[in-house]
Amino acid sequence: MSIEPITGRYVTVTIGGTARRIYFEEAGQGRPVLCLHTAGADTRQWRHLMNDAEITASNRLIAFDMPWHGKSLPPEGFETQEYLLTTEAYIETVLAVIDALGLERPVLAGCSMGGRIALQLAALHPERFSGFIAIEASDFQPAWYDIDWFHRPDAHGGEMGAALVSANISPYAPEPERWNTLWMFMQSGPGVFRGDLSFYTRDDSLIARLPGIDTGRTPVHIIVGAYDLTCTPEDAARTARAIPGATLAVMDELGHFPMSEHPEGFRPFFVDALARMPQVRAEVA
Amino acid sequence: MIETFKQIQSTLERTPHLLRLGRLFSETVLIEVGSDEYYLTFEAGRIVSVDQGPSRKTPWCFALRTDAKALEKFWQARPEPGFHDIFGLVKIGRGRIDGDILSLVKNLRFFKEVLGLARAQKEVVA
Repeated sequence: MSIEPITGRYVTVTIGGTARRIYFEEAGQGRPVLCLHTAGADTRQWRHLMNDAEITASNRLIAFDMPWHGKSLPPEGFETQEYLLTTEAYIETVLAVIDALGLERPVLAGCSMGGRIALQLAALHPERFSGFIAIEASDFQPAWYDIDWFHRPDAHGGEMGAALVSANISPYAPEPERWNTLWMFMQSGPGVFRGDLSFYTRDDSLIARLPGIDTGRTPVHIIVGAYDLTCTPEDAARTARAIPGATLAVMDELGHFPMSEHPEGFRPFFVDALARMPQVRAEVA
Repeated sequence: MIETFKQIQSTLERTPHLLRLGRLFSETVLIEVGSDEYYLTFEAGRIVSVDQGPSRKTPWCFALRTDAKALEKFWQARPEPGFHDIFGLVKIGRGRIDGDILSLVKNLRFFKEVLGLARAQKEVVA
């Protein structure tokens, strides 16, 4: 038997004028690294890195479930709302969690839509962070599917979503981790994946902001998997070229959920990314 | 090629979890490989017939149109990027999906795993 070092707690923050009960996990000590999950999933995607003693020896990894995801509840009155994530609400959520947890200029590591918002924050609120690790992240992708498929009364959106995103998982991923990764999509609440995809596939506001990111103040490192059909290496390379000073790493044997689908394959790329980030002392604000 | 589809048909019979996943799927699917047509008729998750075309009289629900070389790569144990999934084939311009795509999406895991039954096994790491 072994008890993992990850601890989970709840914090209530105000977003859009309403209280939200947010679930967060953390492990480690030292430099704070805030980790953002992909669309349609939750904090469990970071489970392997949070259990990596070498990484957590000098990095305090913190991850939280976005409202509507994982163990974070939707807002009061959700039963009559259509969930549609926006860039503005996403930014407000990340900053609210940073304030609530008293994080002093954390490194921000986000995957997929989390990587997209990391780049938005690099452009709009760089003073709140020390650097950005943008995983499977790019400027913009229109949907190559109909997002309305994933929320309908005659089919299970979670099972369809999992079957779709399995296209983004590398054949090198160990089978148990492939299915653990897909399970989160199967569990996703009704309409949540669709609402995340609405943000991801319709808001192209980042494109114009990329050239203004100052990587001299806050480094930006982009990591992309060759088996990612949603954010391809070409998409990530185009995005990196648009950010002066941004760096890029391509992972030949990984897909869209690298930290979850293939932890051993992803680890060296994440360690390299952390080494590129400044060593800001973690001090309580 | 038709032998491969018949191999899929017989392997499916020995794959209980797919028979369970496909229990509501009773449709005919057209697989077009280059200029050749293959009609896979499913009933309650079983493939009850594999027929080679051409046929103008066989109604089908959805179609996957690709080429033999692409399918050969798709069926490798670890296909190169793009060849690892039917939507990957579409993305890289080596496949097209037509017809009732919603029916495909509702049964997407089932159909992808059925097509993958011809995939070579990955080597076992000791």
